[in-house]
Amino acid sequence: MNKLMVFGVVFVAALLGLTWVIAGGQMGDDIVNKLAMLGAVATATIAIFVALKYIRQMQTDKASGKLADENWDGIGEYKNELPFGWAVIFLGLNIWAIWYFLAGYPVNAYSQIGEYNEDVAAHDAKFEAQHANMDEETLKEMGGSIFIVQCAPCHGLQADGIDGKAANLTVRLEEKTIKHVINNGQGMLGYPAPMPDRNGLMNMNTNALITDAEIDAVAKYVAGGMKGTEGADVFAGTCAACHGPDGKGMEMVAPSIADFNPTLVADVLKHGKKGAIGAMPAFNNLTEVQVKALGAYVTDLSK
Amino acid sequence: MFHWLEKHPFFFAVAVFVVISFAGLIEILPNFAQASQPVVGTKPYSTLELAGRHVYIKNSCNACHSQLVRPFKSETDRYGHYSLSGEYAYDRPFLWGSKRTGPDLMRVGNYRTTDWHENHMKDPAAVVPGSIMPAYRWLFKNTADIDTAYAEQVTVNKVFAVPYNAEIPMADGSKSTVKLAATLEEAHADALEEAKAIAADMKDQDVKDAVAAGQIPEIVALIAYMNSLK
Repeated sequence: MNKLMVFGVVFVAALLGLTWVIAGGQMGDDIVNKLAMLGAVATATIAIFVALKYIRQMQTDKASGKLADENWDGIGEYKNELPFGWAVIFLGLNIWAIWYFLAGYPVNAYSQIGEYNEDVAAHDAKFEAQHANMDEETLKEMGGSIFIVQCAPCHGLQADGIDGKAANLTVRLEEKTIKHVINNGQGMLGYPAPMPDRNGLMNMNTNALITDAEIDAVAKYVAGGMKGTEGADVFAGTCAACHGPDGKGMEMVAPSIADFNPTLVADVLKHGKKGAIGAMPAFNNLTEVQVKALGAYVTDLSK
Repeated sequence: MFHWLEKHPFFFAVAVFVVISFAGLIEILPNFAQASQPVVGTKPYSTLELAGRHVYIKNSCNACHSQLVRPFKSETDRYGHYSLSGEYAYDRPFLWGSKRTGPDLMRVGNYRTTDWHENHMKDPAAVVPGSIMPAYRWLFKNTADIDTAYAEQVTVNKVFAVPYNAEIPMADGSKSTVKLAATLEEAHADALEEAKAIAADMKDQDVKDAVAAGQIPEIVALIAYMNSLK
């Protein structure tokens, strides 16, 4: 055993001793700690003896072999064989590169949109599981929060239309709106036949086109919640044919003008609207559940 | 070859650069070329919309409003589909913005209307409680600069081959054409035609009178631009 070897053994012992002094007290019974200690012993030993091998090689090796053609101001270079390990790594990298080029990058690469899609799918699944069977109260509550985000910018937080800037949703119809619809017709809600303008509205009682006075009367009547007698006959003669005697509408014919209902809200959200006040865009980005929730909330507003 | 390269450091450096760039080039370039194509349904701006875009830039709307919807659930719920690079094909310059003091406007045309913009620009706090956006009342008085908008249209058409007067495929399979007027007078007439349709939905009598008299207030151009953001 020469001097270098002795130094190596002493150095390994010193390293391990130091490790034991620092960490030995915390070993306990944990198998993981013992494995780590074993790893430390192995690492220190291998590192020191590999280093020793090369130090000794440097001390004893003589230059030999065939010189390469190039020389730089008299300094030459031996032609050495490529170390075996390097050759293996090089070939391995070639194979990996082909895999990465053909499959790794195009198929398995990280994509921001992929992560987004997973996010949305996970969220939707959770949402659907949570809201599979909602009672009316939860629906209304959900509708309320959607209303604040999607509807309140135009209809106002109180749903009053902010001083006539949008439709007032706390009442079904206002006089101004009713007159506008009677005068101009309406065909935006997706019913098979649009409502004609005043030149197509007959009053069955008088067998003539609806008149200005009759429009005033029926507008007041409908806006007032269809109470009283004034305008009732005009309503019965003109509007009831499509909107029903109670104004609640008929399926596939006309919407309710007596109150809001979820179907009407869904229709407006789907098609948008343009009326006396201005235009409302369609809101097709809402999910089915959200439309249902808004329907419940808006229906409840005017009750 | 290699021996030669070893003796010529400059060309060696060039060769190293080419080898290192190669992977980057084949990964980035094809993707980039594909993504920068206009998305189906993206149209160039009409004269009035472009004039409105100039109003938007002039008033630094982009200092507070971004035009970039990021691919996060919370953003797409509020603003609509996330932005694609091909959607900015005709934006010169793009108006992505870097800070959202106000909301994103990338798709504002989908959920706001002419009358809403009119009310909002006059008095933002009246429509959105607690809004800190200032009122932009001068837009109702200033006249939009159609000349510059038309000049830009002609320039981008000639220099960047922006497809005016050409059929553009739309998302629903139909074709759409954006007109580039032959003369400045024609451009003014076309812009006025567009402005009339927007003014019809507005309530401000001064604006209506101005449009009827052949003037186009800045607010009309800006609303045309806002409505085109979809």
